[in-house]
Amino acid sequence: MPQFEISDLITVTDPRSLRRAPVRRDDVLRTLAEAGNRRAARIVGTLPVDGDGVLDPAAVDRLLIGVHTELQRLSEEMRIGERVLHLLGPLLEAIRETAEPGARLRLVDIGCGLGYLVRRLAATRALGPGVELIGVDLDAALAGEAARLAQAEGLDCRFVHANAFDLPEAATVYVSTGVLHHFRGPALAEFLQAQAASSAVAFCHFDIAATPITPLGAWVFHRARMRHPLGRHDGVASARRAHSDETLLHAADIPGIRPLVYEPRGLANPFCTTLRPLLGIRPHLEEPFRRAMGRASRRLVGPERFAA
Amino acid sequence: MTPALPLAALGLIDAAFSGFRAYAGRDARIRKHRAVLRASLRGLAVGSALLLVPILTACAVLLTATDQSRAYDRLVDGGTAYLLCIAAYALAVALSLAAYFVLPFRASTLAMVIGLGPLTLLRPLVLAAGCTVALAAGGWPSLLVSATAGAAALATEQIVHRRWYSRPL
Ligand SMILES: C[S@@+](CC[C@H](N)C(=O)[O-])C[C@H]1O[C@@H](n2cnc3c(N)ncnc32)[C@H](O)[C@@H]1O
Repeated sequence: MPQFEISDLITVTDPRSLRRAPVRRDDVLRTLAEAGNRRAARIVGTLPVDGDGVLDPAAVDRLLIGVHTELQRLSEEMRIGERVLHLLGPLLEAIRETAEPGARLRLVDIGCGLGYLVRRLAATRALGPGVELIGVDLDAALAGEAARLAQAEGLDCRFVHANAFDLPEAATVYVSTGVLHHFRGPALAEFLQAQAASSAVAFCHFDIAATPITPLGAWVFHRARMRHPLGRHDGVASARRAHSDETLLHAADIPGIRPLVYEPRGLANPFCTTLRPLLGIRPHLEEPFRRAMGRASRRLVGPERFAA
Repeated sequence: MTPALPLAALGLIDAAFSGFRAYAGRDARIRKHRAVLRASLRGLAVGSALLLVPILTACAVLLTATDQSRAYDRLVDGGTAYLLCIAAYALAVALSLAAYFVLPFRASTLAMVIGLGPLTLLRPLVLAAGCTVALAAGGWPSLLVSATAGAAALATEQIVHRRWYSRPL
């Protein structure tokens, strides 16, 4: 049975035109019924529709902004900012070491939601000067809310409504948090190949670590921290959809890219590693990156670790 | 010794945390120290008012008792059992919080995953357990007082959330 996240079904954006398509509630209910997911169907059944049975887009946006605001609390509590910085710091150090002196760097967060990571990096200036910070999301309401929040706090970053597979913003480094599991089958490799084909020198995508305890941990956390049933449902569904280390490394096995996973299963305590990253770096960066990581680079492994 | 003072102190601390929980997840800004403080004070204010209910209940129990001295002793027994139960919980929360704030991010994730997250879910169960031991140690009047105290503790977060944080800020 396919696992669906309700938020992926109740808002549909055309990937080319970026225009939002009307979503009929009955269509979503049918998809969920076919997947045998009665709980999700009950949640969707409560969402308001117009006379034609189309989900009210304003209500859906309000709901998703509310759920993403709660999701940000999880990111804060799990110290996602520090976790990302733990790798991005050394990665940028390696990039600066090999780049032209004074070159401006650009970090693009793909599927940024409310842009917590980008706004936090902007607020703390943790990456140092000369790093432009941009967030992109396919959902116009989330990208718009991220921009509003950044403006409200006077943060030096911007947000763009765009598709991850057709990015208008060239980057030095692409990052993401909690996005990879949304890309199923060949889409995962296509997503990474598009970045490998760009002028970017690295990508660093954090996603839920797939371990046997992940779904239980996700249940406890989303139950304890999220109020809306949609957030609780999607939190557990996303944990079930998490890609394994092997799947990620296989998808990132692209010419001109050195695929690495940090803190894979077996090298990290699953209670300490809720999100772990898949990295793809240009091969010349590996040595300076490992040097900048110091002892922690032991936990950085490539596909050879999983070779039979 | 009467357990009233430590119980009231724990009740007030819990109310401030309830205010924080009522607010948490409703504010997507990055800098929010003042908002956190305001939410905790709101919890404290609402919680202080609600704590009057178990205090008044205890007073009513004493005033209406035929043998006031015995009723007082039974309330102290029940209150002490209730206190021990929630103090053990409070200690676990305090240790998890200290670990969360002091340790580096990996270990602090551990404190969150096996400490603070599950402890939030356990809170109503701990209060229920407190009522049970209060009943066993101090009889029905103790159960009445501890049940009103537990209900007040649980209601604080709901009231603060509905009043101030029902929508994202
Ligand atoms: C689980 S959320 C994660 C949001 C945020 N990164 C965080 O950590 O809270 C996944 C996000 O990916 C976005 N997304 C999904 N498919 C996308 C695509 N093709 N292009 C851009 N964004 C996409 C969704 O709109 C959603 O905001």
